[in-house]
Amino acid sequence: MALKRLSQFKPLVVLLVFLAAWWVMPVMVKRWLQTGFYEFQAPLSAAESHLEDLQSYWTLRGQSKREMIEAGRDLARENARLTVQLQDNRSLAAEISRLETLLDLPSHPDFRYEVARVARRDLSAWWQQITIRKGANYGIPVGAAVIYKGGVVGRVREVHATTSIVELVSSSGFRMAANVVGEDRPVTYQGLLNPPFSNPLGEVLNVPAAVKVSPSQPMRLVSSRLGGIFPEGLTIGEVVELTPGSDGFFQQGRVQLNPDLGALREVAVVIPIGDETTPAVERPPATQEAVRGD
Amino acid sequence: MKFDHFKQWNPRLNIFFLAFGAMFVVLASGLAWRQLILRGEWKEKEDRQNLRRVIQPGPRGDILDRHGNILVGNRPRFSAVVYLRELREEFDQEYSKMLNAMREQHREANPDEPFRFDWQQLRWESRQRVLQRYTDQINVILGTDKEITLRDLQRHYWSKLLMPFPLMGDLEPEEYARLIEQLPLGSPIDIYTDTARDYPFGPTACHTLGYVVANPEGIKEDAIPGEDLKTFHYKSEVGKNGLEKAFDDQLQGTSGGEIWVVDRFQFQYDKPLVEIAAKQGNDVITSLDIDLQLAAEEAMGDKTGAAVALDVKTGEVLVLASKPGYNLNDFSPFIRQEAWNQAVEQGALYNRATQGLYAPGSTFKMITAIAAMRNGVLDQDETLECGTHYRVGNRLFPEHSHASFGEVDVRKAIQKSSNVYFYQVGLRAGIENIAAEAKRFGLAEPTGIEIPYEATRMIVPTPEWRKERDGGIWTLGDTANVSIGQGDLFVTPLQMAAFAASLARRETHTRVTLLHDPQQKPVDHGGEPLGLTDEQYRAIVEGMEAAAGPQGTARFAMVDGVQIAGKTGTAQVKRPSGKITLAWFLGFAPAENPQIAVAVVMEGLVPGDHYAGGKTAAPVARAIFETYFADKDLSDLLASQQ
Repeated sequence: MALKRLSQFKPLVVLLVFLAAWWVMPVMVKRWLQTGFYEFQAPLSAAESHLEDLQSYWTLRGQSKREMIEAGRDLARENARLTVQLQDNRSLAAEISRLETLLDLPSHPDFRYEVARVARRDLSAWWQQITIRKGANYGIPVGAAVIYKGGVVGRVREVHATTSIVELVSSSGFRMAANVVGEDRPVTYQGLLNPPFSNPLGEVLNVPAAVKVSPSQPMRLVSSRLGGIFPEGLTIGEVVELTPGSDGFFQQGRVQLNPDLGALREVAVVIPIGDETTPAVERPPATQEAVRGD
Repeated sequence: MKFDHFKQWNPRLNIFFLAFGAMFVVLASGLAWRQLILRGEWKEKEDRQNLRRVIQPGPRGDILDRHGNILVGNRPRFSAVVYLRELREEFDQEYSKMLNAMREQHREANPDEPFRFDWQQLRWESRQRVLQRYTDQINVILGTDKEITLRDLQRHYWSKLLMPFPLMGDLEPEEYARLIEQLPLGSPIDIYTDTARDYPFGPTACHTLGYVVANPEGIKEDAIPGEDLKTFHYKSEVGKNGLEKAFDDQLQGTSGGEIWVVDRFQFQYDKPLVEIAAKQGNDVITSLDIDLQLAAEEAMGDKTGAAVALDVKTGEVLVLASKPGYNLNDFSPFIRQEAWNQAVEQGALYNRATQGLYAPGSTFKMITAIAAMRNGVLDQDETLECGTHYRVGNRLFPEHSHASFGEVDVRKAIQKSSNVYFYQVGLRAGIENIAAEAKRFGLAEPTGIEIPYEATRMIVPTPEWRKERDGGIWTLGDTANVSIGQGDLFVTPLQMAAFAASLARRETHTRVTLLHDPQQKPVDHGGEPLGLTDEQYRAIVEGMEAAAGPQGTARFAMVDGVQIAGKTGTAQVKRPSGKITLAWFLGFAPAENPQIAVAVVMEGLVPGDHYAGGKTAAPVARAIFETYFADKDLSDLLASQQ
């Protein structure tokens, strides 16, 4: 009878034993297990993403010829426009290079771009992170900038074998140096805690008092190259409101981010050429025991 | 039955009741006294013990030129800091770790001896180690090798505990951006921002703008409550020189502050009880024109001297330049010792425009002429024979360049700057009249310009002055010397510019100011009319026009399309190193409708410097005139002349 009663608690005992084992397990083993589990799971996410692509392919197949012809025409126009722009960019790059040589200026850091599809986006972390379908296999480093046609997407936070996790510009854990358009003094942009499907917001700090904005006359906030991670001039969002800080000189305010960030399908990872390992600083480890208060 | 004795009242119990009652009343009264009557006092003590005030100065206002260009502003100043209260747990953990390590080490080395250690020293070291760890993170990102010293840490702990501890100060914008992007957001390292004075034009107008230093008297705390609380101050600044000092009250911002509750370890917790935002000070709009100032200073180059330009009508100072100068940005956010030493060595701290006392040389000749004309001893058309020398007593006074100008009237005398002519005219007028005329133009007193330390010991010599100084006797030779602006005559370039402006307006006094009035209201300069007839005045101005013409001594001041009335001067003064030359230019333009008056003096440094008013000072004046008239419609000027 007693044995029977004990067997009722068997699952609970197993759980407790497992938790105790996890608790005493060395941190390295824990991390290895976590990474292993993630890598094991990653192909499923990638496969799911490929299936979505296939699904959209078949959806497109179902479209009429007329629609396809119109889309093809639009695409041709876009291609023509981009070709012209590419030509302009080439001549501008040549001119910049010529001026740099002439003035003996150090050249701007070069980047290469790795285009990647978005593999996964969790509802619980909608404005915090996305998973992209490229990782260490494409030489993506931790800390690299991620951009899209609308501007800044975020930074690579974790790199796995075939996937990477990108911390979004709308995440409260994201911070970068920026410039208000027309101002050369750097300011700080920081993400906020945004609930899923809301309009994403961020905040801007250390804006000089001379900068004036209003919701009807917002100012574009763009990336600064001073931090060495993002190329210059990529749109972060629009500064719609500024309030004076307590020091009487700087202001802080709200940044309206592009809602298109909620529908990302494809992004580009910006990888600095020559220095593909962006230093990421870890918080210093803290020991477990604590003695009397300081 | 056996409990009956409880029912019977024993009168002896009354004593106990009375005693207990009295004790209760005493206790209750004591409690009431402390809780009700002394409540305020206890509350005050508690506040004093638990509350701390942090005062932050408001940023200073900007200094602008007359067109709204920022001459002095504020720039953000970034520092990487940590708030020590956020690291307390880490301090404890580090302390414990170090203690264990020491204990282990001791046990291995001396197992039989008891373990002893200096816990205070260990605590400091553990704190230092934690802070160094965070500093190393910054070092990795910025490629620096900053180290935290125990002394810095202790000083901060004892005097600024509530303020952020600076790990790396005065970060460049690039360093700031790199830290922002590469430090994790949850890191205790914070980027602290405050302001430092910024001088967009570097050394330009440095003497006029002035600089700031740490305020020895601390910050004004008027607007922040809790005067009796223990207070921590952020550094504040006070104007030390120039406009920064003159308008310090206006420029000073309004302080902000916070009142915090602190725990028993004196660290603040929770949010501040009171938070008052600081406010930026008011702006000062000066009369300076930065384009003119830049033109003047560029034309002066590396030479030593001063240049002043005034608006003739309002007396507003358009240019106030003194060379050598110093880069104001080397004096902000603190004065770098090297920059200070260099400035002292070069004499660059000295504002020659307002403090330099110079013999005015031939630019004084107009005053001699006016004195003679007003006293009826010189007619504007009268000619005098001017040879190579003029004898005064036993002494021969030479013409400049040993030239002989023949028959000379006042026009030609000014044009050619004939010394011999003015020896004669000066002797006719007499020293009393010349000195009185100079004093009438305000050359014996400071102009009253707003910036501090204007020279007060200018000299317009008279026989009485000579007697008072050393009991000496005034001679006719002294009068001859003063007649051509030499001898014991000493004035500042600013005074001479004010004289030029007064002469241009046919008045005797110009109220100079460094403040710009955008309304350009008419100004009462407080002087009197010049006291010359039109013919007399025209004769002097024609002489000055001719001097600034193709054949005149001031021809290097000529500007196309603008008639300038000018006069050069070359004075020699004795210095310990020998006789050095002062090159002067004085003038105004346009001659018929004067708008701007200019005085320039360039100072030879060694006896060999071949400076001359025409060659050295006039080009500086031309640069000022050219820039001034560059954006003016000359047809308007000509129309107004007619």
